[in-house]
Amino acid sequence: MDHGETEFLLKLEQLSIGYEEPLISNISLTMYPGEIVSIIGASGIGKTTLLRTIAGLVAPLDGRVNLNVKKRGGLGYIPQKLGLVHHASVNHNVGLGARAGTSFREEPMTWIGRRNERVEIAIEQMGLTEKRNEPVRRLSGGQQKRVATARTLAQRPQILLADEFLSELDEDNIQIVVESVIDYVKESGAAMILVEHNTERAIQLSNRIFRLIEGELVQQFIQGGEEE
Amino acid sequence: MITRRNRFMLIGISLLLLSVLTLNNLISGDWSAISGGRETLVDFWQDDLWPPDWTLLEARSYPVCESSIGFFCSKVYIGMIETMKMAFVATVFGFIGSMLLSPLAAKNLVPAAISYPVRIFMAATRSLPSLIWAVIFIAIVGLGPLAGVLAMTFYTIGYLGKLQYEEMEGMRSEPLEASRAMGLSRSEITLLVVIPETSNGLLSQLLFMFEYNFRHGTVLGLVGAGGIGYYLSYYIGLFMYQQVMTFILVIFVVVVLLDLFSMFVRSFVNEEKDVKRPTWSSIFLSPNSSLEIHHKKEK
Repeated sequence: MDHGETEFLLKLEQLSIGYEEPLISNISLTMYPGEIVSIIGASGIGKTTLLRTIAGLVAPLDGRVNLNVKKRGGLGYIPQKLGLVHHASVNHNVGLGARAGTSFREEPMTWIGRRNERVEIAIEQMGLTEKRNEPVRRLSGGQQKRVATARTLAQRPQILLADEFLSELDEDNIQIVVESVIDYVKESGAAMILVEHNTERAIQLSNRIFRLIEGELVQQFIQGGEEE
Repeated sequence: MITRRNRFMLIGISLLLLSVLTLNNLISGDWSAISGGRETLVDFWQDDLWPPDWTLLEARSYPVCESSIGFFCSKVYIGMIETMKMAFVATVFGFIGSMLLSPLAAKNLVPAAISYPVRIFMAATRSLPSLIWAVIFIAIVGLGPLAGVLAMTFYTIGYLGKLQYEEMEGMRSEPLEASRAMGLSRSEITLLVVIPETSNGLLSQLLFMFEYNFRHGTVLGLVGAGGIGYYLSYYIGLFMYQQVMTFILVIFVVVVLLDLFSMFVRSFVNEEKDVKRPTWSSIFLSPNSSLEIHHKKEK
């Protein structure tokens, strides 16, 4: 895909990741607006560590992570266990995303209104209106994943990192979640890295697929190109 | 080969043995004090402690009681309410202080350069028992409940703060990671993620601290900080143990009531409530009897 003069959102340069010992080395990847990249590979091979390194939660062992996004609210992260505040309501959790994605300094007079509007839209989009005041711990696994998605949609990040957030979801929930997230990425010009176990689904959703093999990130598929 | 279970048993027995040997060392091997102890206890109970002096639950002769219920003018009620007030104020002030400090002491929330000095400060407030704090504050503000409140507040900051930062350190890392990645500030993460997520533990510790301060309030009276402890110290000084027994029973009843209250309040935030909220019958009765009542109600 030719991106011409388009500015990248994420550039990984000769990145080595891991904890003391490298799990994956020499990762080079550039992502542009509207792109969805899937990463597949066996369990425990370093997929989550890669996302955590990009999110700035783990320091890289070598190389660089260049993020061309806003410092506050520019990056969204859905961890494998979703990272929701269990004792707080759906509203509260989605509100965290809206808070990160809006800035008081930019428009102080309309800040609360803009935040509430984002929460309303995201909750409605995920079909959680009736559950909005329920504590998250009382929701089913599928509903919790919808809350995590709503939080991200309310945040409107420029780059979204999602760690196996479609696994263990029933077809109805997958439909709701995938449609909303893909629509968001396409419409807003955001980019997304998805860690996915289901190769078929990864092909369906992504522009590019990388597989982790023996400590290296190998590109396996480009939409419109050949599967390697 | 030693199995995992046997290893735990071995560690348990070794610890027990070590404790007995340490006690033996402490009392220089002289176990004679225990012999005849049972008879002494029975005598003390029969001659001095029992029956309690229930007249302490009646209105005092002076000043004249203006309430129609005499209990509200009794020494027990007046002492208990004063201790309760002291414990309440000290717990609230101490909670505010500890809530401000504990996020700054939690290792998963701030760098070590901040957390260690805050921990040292908290350890300093905790290392002096509230009794010693009371002596210090009596020297500053004089005898009375204010010294008691200040003493308990200082101790609460150190003690409750330690429980709180350990609770915060034990929370799941995913909500923290998700909110950090989003770019939320430290104060937003503390207020909107850490406190709601640890609310069950924080609430439990707060209520425990209130109960603790109430019990300690009874001790502070011994050094002149007021409350129920003033009466306890007065009657112990006069060897009037039946009166002391009345106060001990009242303290016991209040502590049990506070525990039930804590259980009730925490049922609103803990996981069990989502399955089935505890009923009063389930608190007082055995599981089987409670279940029978539940089935009867359903029918």
